[in-house]
Amino acid sequence: MSYAIEVHNLTKIYPSSGLEEGFLAVDQINFTVKQGEIFGFLGPNGAGKSTTQRMLTTLLTPTEGQIQVLGHDLAQDSYPAKRQIGLVPEESNIYTELTAWDNLMFTGRLYLMSKTDRTARAEELLKDFGLWDKKDVKAENFSKGMKRRLSIAMAIIHKPALLFLDEPTPGLDVQSARTIRTLIRQLSAEGTTVFMSTHQIEEANQLCDRVAIINHGKIAAIDTPEKLKQTFQQVQSVEIAFTLSAEGLEEKLTTLPEVSTVLKIGDKWRLYTDSPPDLLPYLMKFSEKENLDIVSLNTLAPSLEDVFLQITGQQVGSVSEESSQQKADIRRKKGKQ
Amino acid sequence: MKNFWTRIVDELSQAWIVTLKDIKVYYLRPGMIMFGFLMPFFMFFSFSVRREMAAGEGMSRLLALTIFFTAAAAGPFIIPTERRLGTYDRLLAAPMSLLTLLLGKIAVGAFFAIVVSSLAAIVGFLFLGASIAQPALMIGGIIIGSFTFSTMGLIFGSIPTRNPGDVQMPSTLIRWVLLFVSGVFVPLAEMSTVARGISYLSPLTYAQDLMNHAVLGTGELALWLNLSVLFLSGILFLLPSIKLHKRGRVLGY
Ligand SMILES: Nc1ncnc2c1ncn2[C@@H]1O[C@H](COP(=O)(O)OP(=O)(O)OP(=O)(O)O)[C@@H](O)[C@H]1O
Ligand SMILES: [Mg+2]
Repeated sequence: MSYAIEVHNLTKIYPSSGLEEGFLAVDQINFTVKQGEIFGFLGPNGAGKSTTQRMLTTLLTPTEGQIQVLGHDLAQDSYPAKRQIGLVPEESNIYTELTAWDNLMFTGRLYLMSKTDRTARAEELLKDFGLWDKKDVKAENFSKGMKRRLSIAMAIIHKPALLFLDEPTPGLDVQSARTIRTLIRQLSAEGTTVFMSTHQIEEANQLCDRVAIINHGKIAAIDTPEKLKQTFQQVQSVEIAFTLSAEGLEEKLTTLPEVSTVLKIGDKWRLYTDSPPDLLPYLMKFSEKENLDIVSLNTLAPSLEDVFLQITGQQVGSVSEESSQQKADIRRKKGKQ
Repeated sequence: MKNFWTRIVDELSQAWIVTLKDIKVYYLRPGMIMFGFLMPFFMFFSFSVRREMAAGEGMSRLLALTIFFTAAAAGPFIIPTERRLGTYDRLLAAPMSLLTLLLGKIAVGAFFAIVVSSLAAIVGFLFLGASIAQPALMIGGIIIGSFTFSTMGLIFGSIPTRNPGDVQMPSTLIRWVLLFVSGVFVPLAEMSTVARGISYLSPLTYAQDLMNHAVLGTGELALWLNLSVLFLSGILFLLPSIKLHKRGRVLGY
């Protein structure tokens, strides 16, 4: 068995939502997750990430399609799969009335661990996660980061072969988010397969072996972060900063040859172009003509963010609008729209 | 076969863990105290104050009320609360059957009712000076009644919603209807034929009659009938809960 997850034509239509035909949240998706990899499920709000993950963890019944988790068909017998998966849901849903220790003991017993196993493992996890001195404190007094760590500890107390994380770091400060990413890397190094939903591109870029970009319930692209970036060479850019800003600078920059979009980023301008080498001479001439001194000039390869924006059909530099009404036939081809 | 039994033992232990956890987390919550503990006593005193009533009669009525209200208070409160907090997902994703989870949740309400009814029995025994005709039957009746009505409460808890308020209304309404058509406030013997016919539709009627057997030593209906109706309705009450949980999984709750 080489795949941790195999998904075939998976579809979810929510019956409610006031629409007669229901709401199509996940539309005929196919993908596989290899054993041992960190797989990122990346998409904007409402794309269908949680819906997919809830189907993979048996919380939601698919409308159509097959799911194999660790070689077990969920529709036939989910029990063996359930024993081997761990789940960190969207919110840090721990029992705030219980202490950190009791939360772990409860989960350990739920996963049928023996007393020696679960106490040893709980001690190990609390120490690893920096919660050992808080073990007898009720979780209601925990910070967001601590709750998140406890939630992850609860999900892995039984050493699952496959861990699901829905948005591991939202609302956490940089420090806590880093701690959590380090934990995820460690788990992966120990052999756990990780399926992670996120809308944070940089997180996916840093953590994931492969990324699926999901938009409007469809998978738009699946590949390694680097390969995804290569596919989108046309979204390269040149970043330039001048000593002072001039009237109408943005418009003038936009009219330069080879420039597709201009974006102001802090004190810099980012000019998107198919070909930075061709653009540079024009830029030089422009700054001379306008009497602008250049402070810095960089050419940038496409970031995963650029790829993401391109795929999800949001114009680079435009304010994206969250679509409230999805249509099944919205199809955006890779790389063009 | 060995696997089968190990699995059964596993599942029972998981149900028990769910129950223990809920006892720790929820028994002292204001919602539980209010609807499960104060309500039956409040109802008892407000309806019994004016009437002259023998001690035994009062006690058997108080017992029926506490079993009914307390047992049915847990389900509609706990599950929607857990759905709202997201902790219910943990239970649904755990390696146990839906029936196991439901059994665990039923026991939460049932134990709560058993504790409160025992208090009621002590109140009746010490303060009302009632004597108990068949103590063993009383204990057995409290246990079976508590499980039945807890299973009934679970139906409301199974309604797919994340808001306990959505469930509290219909569950309270239905419990009051079942209470008023039952033989708790008007004894069966004093009812008109029509009223009596309707009262047979409320499982509480049988619980009340069972308590009359246990405390007073006499009832209007046969003892076996009371026991079997309570037992069977307890089983039947499971079906809507299972269905509603499956529906919840389709709707996304
Ligand atoms: N229970 C439900 N009933 C009806 N529609 C739902 C339900 N749950 C989610 N949806 C809709 O399905 C779509 C996908 O939701 P989902 O929660 O999967 O998105 P997501 O990718 O996880 O987004 P986010 O980043 O906001 O968490 C959304 O448009 C949402 O409104
Ligand atoms: Mg989500």
